Parts: sequence; C-alpha cells; structure tokens
Amino acid sequence: MSKRNDITTPEGYFGDLQKRLSEIPARPVRVSMVHRLAPYAAIAASFLVAVMLGNAILRHSAPASAEDDTWTYVSYLADALDPDGAAMMDLADYYGEDPEEEGLSAEDIVNYLLADGISVEHLNYLSYEEGF
Amino acid sequence: MDNAERLFNEIVKEYSERVYWHVRRFVNNHEDADDLVQEIFLKIWTALPSFRGEAQLFTWVYRIATNETLNWLRREKVRSALRFTSIDAEMERRIDSDPFFDGDAADRALSKAVAKLPEKQRQVFILRYYDEMPYEQMSEVLDTSVGALKASYHIAQEKVRSALGKDIFIGSD
Repeated sequence: MSKRNDITTPEGYFGDLQKRLSEIPARPVRVSMVHRLAPYAAIAASFLVAVMLGNAILRHSAPASAEDDTWTYVSYLADALDPDGAAMMDLADYYGEDPEEEGLSAEDIVNYLLADGISVEHLNYLSYEEGF
Repeated sequence: MDNAERLFNEIVKEYSERVYWHVRRFVNNHEDADDLVQEIFLKIWTALPSFRGEAQLFTWVYRIATNETLNWLRREKVRSALRFTSIDAEMERRIDSDPFFDGDAADRALSKAVAKLPEKQRQVFILRYYDEMPYEQMSEVLDTSVGALKASYHIAQEKVRSALGKDIFIGSD
C-alpha cells in the first residue's frame, strides 16, 4: 500500500502555492475578528468550564435532579440561531441526550460561533439572559 | 527585503509542501487543505517575531500547523452537527468525492479508517505513518513523551488494522 501516491494535487500546484504564500508579508496587516476576540473568547470558555465543573460537582451530590447544563446551553444557543426550533429537535434525535458522547463540547460550539462571526458580546448576552 | 521576510520565504520554500501533505491527510480534500495552508502560513508570518529559536524551526512550524488543523477539525465537527451529519460521515464523503484521490480501494479504506481515529491517535498516526516523523521529533511537536506516543501509535495501528482486516501491512511500531 503506497503512502503518498494515493492523493494528488492539480498540476503545477506547489509552484503556485509558494508564489501565493510568499506574497503574505506584502499584505496589509489586518487583525482578524477571531484574534481581536480571543481574550474575550478565553474568558467565555473559562466561564463555561467553570459552569461545567460546577455542574459535575452538583451532579455528584444530587444525581437525579441535575440537568446537563452543557446540553441546555448548546440547545439555547442553537435556539437563538434557529428560532423555530426544528434544528434542535433533529439534533437531539441525532445525538440522543448526550452530545458530548460524539466529542462535541460547549467550547467547540463557542469557537465555531466566534469563527463564524457571532460576537462575544452576543454570546455573553445570550448566556446572561438565560442565566448560564 | 528584511530578515523576517527572508526567513519567512525560506520557511515557505522549505516547508509549504510538507505542511500541505500533512494538512491534506486531516481534511481529506484539496480545496480545504489549500485554504488551511494559507491560514497556517499567515499565522506563521504573524507569529514570526515571537519565534525565539528555542525550538527548532521545523518543530515550531509543525506545531502551528497541527494546532491550526485541529482547530479547523473542531469547527468542522460543529459544522457537520449543524448539517445533521457526523464528522465521520463527512470525512467519508470527502474521501469518496475527492477528485484528487488517486489510490486504490485499499488506500481509500485506509484513509477512511484513519479519519475515524480519535483526534490524538489520528495526529500520531499521520505524523508517524504518512509523514514518517521520528518519535523524538513528534515528542517536541505534540509535547508528549516518546513512550506515550509509541503507545498511541500502537493502539491506532491496531484500530486501523482491525478496520481494514489483518492481512494489510501498515508498518510496524
């Protein structure tokens, strides 16, 4: 079984790629939205981790009554982006009750939303409004 | 041309092709690999003033490439969830529909098995098997001990072997 010959590129690709990459220093410096928001994202992520840790501790002390905050938070964010709620019902069907079994964490969702242009202020507002 | 620009151009010349193949194994699609390589080199250019030379240039470049690729994969995982599909299914679709995939059925099956590995094992498998990186270098790139990497690679190999069937040789530890 070959190691490298199973995937190819368009002809002359690497010459073109090197040319494009070598033009990067000449581009005007632009601080991306993600970079500008990175400190806020770190705060939002720390906040979520604290919520999740708190939830884990609570779950140990009151196992039957605690809801999964992460799932609720993800549901809430998705509801905000998809107001008719149809998407969340399908998501719940797809994942069962535990989206983290598929390795999807609240931090992944936050990173995705930030990279997609949702502002940290909006995320914080949604979190605050819902009491997360 | 100043020193930073000269160094950047050397990095482009020396590493762009290797970074492309590395990224391509993760994203399983030429267009996304091309976009991601540009993002990685933009990151390298903006981070270049902070490169102090404590790490080897090669290690530093690979570390940025690996981190950016994992960030991309995590975003793709969410994108897949929003399309009501799984990242595994999305990767299979990419492998099947990639016009620049030139392998046979066994190569395709191997790519699919690798795409299904957990994140860390996939990283280790790609660096070791496809990039043929020595464990000592992998240890610097992934900031993990050689012993842990060997164990990860062994587990990844077993999973791939079991997905493909025992008769296919995919190298030793």
